[in-house]
Amino acid sequence: MSKAEDERYEVLRIDNIDNLEQVDIKHSYHAVLLDMRIETSQALQIIKSVGAINRPVALLCLYQNHAQLRQQQEIIPQVDDFLLTDSMAEGELTTRISNAIYRHHKEAQLLSEQNLLKQLLENLPDAIYFKNKQGRFLKVSETMNQIYGFSNSQEIIGKTDFDLFTPEHAQPAYDDEQSIIETGKPIIGKIEKETMHDGQIRYVSTTKIPLRDTHNQIIGTMGMSRSVTELIEAQDQLEREGRLLKTIIDYALAGIFVKDRKGCYLIANQRHLRFLGASSTDTVIGKTLFDFFDQTEAEEINTNDMAIMETGEGIEYRIDHQKRKNTPDLWLLTSKVPFYDKTGNCIGLVGISQDITSQKEIEFRLKSVIETLETTQIQLIEAEKLKTVGRLAAGIAHEVKNPLAVVTLGIDFLKKQLADSKEMIEVLDDMQIAANKANHVIFELLDYSSPHEISMVPKSINEIIEHVRTFMRHNFNEAQIELHLELSANLAAVLVDTKKMEQVFINLFLNAISVMPKGGKLTVSSHNETMQQAGSNVSSQMTECFRIGEQIVVIEVKDTGIGLSTAALEKVFDPFYSSKSTGKGTGLGLFVTRNIVDLHRGLITLENRKLASGVCARLIFPTTSKNESEDCKYPQN
Amino acid sequence: MKAKTANTPRIEPCRVLLVDDEASFTRMVKLNLEASGKYAVRVVNESPMAQQVANEFKPEIILLDVVMPEADGGDVAVQLRQHAITQDTPIIFVSAMVSLKESGSGFYESGGEHFLAKPVSTELLSSSIDSVLAKRV
Repeated sequence: MSKAEDERYEVLRIDNIDNLEQVDIKHSYHAVLLDMRIETSQALQIIKSVGAINRPVALLCLYQNHAQLRQQQEIIPQVDDFLLTDSMAEGELTTRISNAIYRHHKEAQLLSEQNLLKQLLENLPDAIYFKNKQGRFLKVSETMNQIYGFSNSQEIIGKTDFDLFTPEHAQPAYDDEQSIIETGKPIIGKIEKETMHDGQIRYVSTTKIPLRDTHNQIIGTMGMSRSVTELIEAQDQLEREGRLLKTIIDYALAGIFVKDRKGCYLIANQRHLRFLGASSTDTVIGKTLFDFFDQTEAEEINTNDMAIMETGEGIEYRIDHQKRKNTPDLWLLTSKVPFYDKTGNCIGLVGISQDITSQKEIEFRLKSVIETLETTQIQLIEAEKLKTVGRLAAGIAHEVKNPLAVVTLGIDFLKKQLADSKEMIEVLDDMQIAANKANHVIFELLDYSSPHEISMVPKSINEIIEHVRTFMRHNFNEAQIELHLELSANLAAVLVDTKKMEQVFINLFLNAISVMPKGGKLTVSSHNETMQQAGSNVSSQMTECFRIGEQIVVIEVKDTGIGLSTAALEKVFDPFYSSKSTGKGTGLGLFVTRNIVDLHRGLITLENRKLASGVCARLIFPTTSKNESEDCKYPQN
Repeated sequence: MKAKTANTPRIEPCRVLLVDDEASFTRMVKLNLEASGKYAVRVVNESPMAQQVANEFKPEIILLDVVMPEADGGDVAVQLRQHAITQDTPIIFVSAMVSLKESGSGFYESGGEHFLAKPVSTELLSSSIDSVLAKRV
């Protein structure tokens, strides 16, 4: 041992094993030199206490010779070196101790680095691999084993990407690696779609670099892949939803738009572009209503929008009617709701606006049709009433006329027998007149029940009035009534049945004569008019009968009688109503008159004159173009 | 009985057959027409009997009511016109079912038929009969 006591070494000699524990070998010494002349069991105990593996100090055994060494071969693997004292050369001991310490130190270092790599490969959640030039796995991380379903690293070693994936991924991955091997250029953060044989798909972000040996020669590749499947799927989902939303917005049968808090457009679909009168989305995004509409209209909508965003209260199914110059009217059904960010701040509004103009037009047409139907229904009821009167009349005629015939002939007979008595003849004359009156009522009734063909021709009502005046001149003179005609020179033509229309004026004039027993003035005027929207002199009855804008002819017949009571005005068109004393009128005159006016699609109203006493009968008829002629003949009933 | 002269071309009164279910009416017509001496009126109140009476009476003209309970005026007219004795005998329909417009003065022609509207005066009745018969001569 004296040979070892070089000045370079501080040596502690322990002869008694029991004292070994009192020395901090691990921290105070670089090497332990064990003289193997001790018992084998003792030697093993010392080795154990110094540390079999990972010990911080180098351990050397001193044997006498090779024969002794052979007897304790099981110890050799546990020590760093051994020395044979019998064949030791000069200075060999210190050299060997020094080498053992150096080697032991290097081994410990290697072991530590190996451990770091092992920790890395066993614990990182990424797939890490090393491949040779042929793409065969040399080493992989534990995570990679788990991901690809291998129980240990050995199973995957020697395999290639083609064993793990379908060619869809394996081929491009192989090509990439060959490129790295060839050029030495790494691939960093590439998103790869890994397609497994079982159909499973994974997305990974991969970084691959060349694998070099200690001589810096490329011997393969190594890489690391991190799963981004969830991210990609989320992205896909987001993209799909985005596309879905875009499709819905683009192809919705309604205008859809999104505006920011300031009212600037963020989104506007094709239909909304049409509403704005814009040609493309680019010309709308970022713009406001003020860029498209006049100040007043933009202001109105904008105020509304701002209120929605401020109060958070949206609008649902509001119907707007938009009237603009040079464009047809627009009806819109609009809903708008505020639009919030994650934190609940209102950042804009979303709106949907449906063009319901065509539905509105249909609604209006339907309304008009319903009105026409209602009018027709009323007309049918009136016609039915008339028919009922007719049927009644036929029955009455038979039952009343036969007795009247007997009375008439009886009077004839008696008159001959009593020709000498003037008084008797007077009585019989009165009886005859009474019978004639009764007969006349029945005649009138029968007239309205008998079928009659009507023929409509375009004609000026003025002509009819003039004609009636001619043959009633005598009646007016007799009743001392002054007739004033104020007829429009260019009165539009109306489709009329001449005879029927004459009857209308005969009835009106006869009525007028009867209400002016002491004479008076009858004014008949006519003029053209255009049907106006409901106003001061347009009754609801008129708007029901005529379309707004329709050309109409108005005729007024004004007497200077005492006028009619409110009750009389209400009933005046009912059959059998008469304001005349019993026996002076049949009560059918105005009823028939109104039926004739209805037949001409006209309207008759009766009212007391406002500025004078008397009644004003107003007749209104739709005009016809001069050439139009309704040749069709149809029975009245 | 007066001799046949130019002023009184007829010796015998004109035979008028009156078919009407209203007995009071037929009595009045008969009374009035016969009072003039110009007519001999035979009355039938039950329309189905019209042909039988006509065959025996041989009327020169027939006054026929339209609305009757058993056979109406139309049916009776058809029957009369099919019979040899009455086929050429003129018929005047006497009806209550005539409107003012149709009747005008009370006697009128329509569709080749003659009509009288009830009620009718003796004068009109008489003149109508004469006018129809005059056309036939």
